[in-house]
Amino acid sequence: MRVTRADFLKGLAALAGLALIRSPGRPDVARAAPAGADLAMLVDVSRCIGCWWCYAACKHHNGLEETTKPGVAEPPELSPDTWTTLRPVRMDENWSYLKHACMHCADAACVKVCPSGALSYNELGFVQYEREKCIGCGYCVEFCPFEVPRLEDNRATGVGLMSKCTFCKDRVARGEQPACAEACPTGAIQFGDRSQLLEEGRQRVRELVRSYPRACLYGEHEMGGLHVLYVLPDQPSAYGLPEERQLAAAAIVQEDILRPFAWIAWGAAAAGLTLNVLVARLRQIRAREAE
Amino acid sequence: MELIERYTPTARWFHWLIAAVFLELVVSGLLLFLPWTGSGMLGNWIRIVHRIGAVILVGAPALFVLFNWRRSWFFVLEAFTWGWDDLTWIKAAPGYYFGGDPRFMPPQGYINTGMKLYRLAILAGGAIFVVTGFIMWFLKGIVPAAVFQWCVVVHDITFIVAVVMFFLHFQLGVFHPRMDESLLSMVDGKVSGVYAKSHHGKWYDEIARNNQNDPGAS
Repeated sequence: MRVTRADFLKGLAALAGLALIRSPGRPDVARAAPAGADLAMLVDVSRCIGCWWCYAACKHHNGLEETTKPGVAEPPELSPDTWTTLRPVRMDENWSYLKHACMHCADAACVKVCPSGALSYNELGFVQYEREKCIGCGYCVEFCPFEVPRLEDNRATGVGLMSKCTFCKDRVARGEQPACAEACPTGAIQFGDRSQLLEEGRQRVRELVRSYPRACLYGEHEMGGLHVLYVLPDQPSAYGLPEERQLAAAAIVQEDILRPFAWIAWGAAAAGLTLNVLVARLRQIRAREAE
Repeated sequence: MELIERYTPTARWFHWLIAAVFLELVVSGLLLFLPWTGSGMLGNWIRIVHRIGAVILVGAPALFVLFNWRRSWFFVLEAFTWGWDDLTWIKAAPGYYFGGDPRFMPPQGYINTGMKLYRLAILAGGAIFVVTGFIMWFLKGIVPAAVFQWCVVVHDITFIVAVVMFFLHFQLGVFHPRMDESLLSMVDGKVSGVYAKSHHGKWYDEIARNNQNDPGAS
C-alpha cells in the first residue's frame, strides 16, 4: 500500500517533534541551570568527524591565538593558546579523534596540589583557576593524569603562568553552552545534566558495541567522576587516557599525610627538646645542691 | 683561663653563612609547602628567593671544598670514622643529655658521636635536596611526571626532617645546659680548656701532646 502525502507529512512532523524533544546538541537543562546542578559534557568520539570547529570556536571565544585548520599530520598540542584540541588516533583505515581538554575532575589532582589556591572548584563543580593567583610552580602540570594544564615559564627563574580550559564559565553562567559544544556540527559534543548524559552515553555504547566490541563510556568514576564524559569506540588506552581511577599516590602522600605530619613532627620535636632542657637543668641544680 | 681555638675564622663565617641561607630556604620553602603562599607575583618571588638560596647553599660549600679541600676531606672522614667509643657514647647519651652523671660518657675526639651522626645526616640530606631540587627545577617536563611527583614528596620529607634536625642543633647550641660554651665558640672560635677536656677529651689530649712537643705553639 502506498502512503498518502498527508500521512508522509504527519510522519515527518512527528520525527521533527521527536528530534526537538531529544535534540542532543542543545539540551534545555543548560539554559536553566539551577544552582548546584551537575552539568557536564558528553563527547561522543564515534560521532566526531575531525572538523576542528570546537578547536576554532574555543580559540575565538577565549581570545586565544587563532590558526588555520590543523590536519592529522601535525595536530596541535594543548598550549597556553590552545585549550582544546583533537588527538587523531588511527583506527583501521579511518581516523578517530579524541577531543582533548580539561576533564574538570570532581577529585582533581591539580586542585589538590595547587599551593596558592589558584585552582579550585566553582559552584558548578568545574575546575576554575584564577590566573592572578598562579605562582607558576607547575605542580598542576605534573600531577594532572590527563596532561591538560600548560605552563608558560622561564626555566631559569621559574616564573610562570598556567592556563587551561575554563569550561566557558562566562557562557555557562549566562545559560549558554560552552563554545566547543555549540560549534560542534555533528552533536559529538553535548552539554547538559550529567546523569542524563551518562544515561545517553550508556545507551550509545550499547549501540556501538555491536560494531565496536571494545566501546566504552569513560569518565563516570575516574578521578571522582569527570565533568567531561566520553563515548569511546575503543578502550581508553587506545586514546592515551589513563586506566587508573584514583589520584596519584604522591598527591595523597604530599597533601594528606606530609602536611599534617610536618606539624606533628615539629611540635613533638620542639616539646621533646624543651622537656630535655628543663630536665637537664633541674638535675644539674639538684646535683649542685647535693654537693 | 686556658682557651683553645676550636673554629677558624673561615669555619665560623662559613657556618653563619650556611645558617642564614638555610633559614632563608626554610622560610621560603615553608611558604611554598603550606597553602599560605602569597598568590600571584608574590608567590613567584618566593620561588625565586628559594632558588637564589639553593644556588648559594650549593655554591658556597662547593667553593669551600675547592679552597679548603684538605679540611673538607677531614670533615667527611671524621663523620665516617667510628669506633667502640661511639657505641658507648650512644648508650650513655640519653642519661648524659638529660643531666645525668657525665662520667659514663667515653672521651670524645674533635667531634663526638652525635656530631658524626649529624654530619652524616647533613651529607645525606644535602644530597637528597640537591638531586630532587635539581630535577624539579631543570628537568620539569623532561622526566616522567611520576618522577617529578615523587621528587616533590621526597624533597618535602627531607625538609621536615631537616627542620627537626635544625631544632636539635639549635637546642644543643643555645639552650642545653651541658653545651654552655657551644654558641660562644662559634662566635669567637674558642672554648675553655675545662670545656674541651670534659666534652672532647681525646681532642684535648691530642692538643696537650702537640703543645708538649712544640711548646711555642699556643
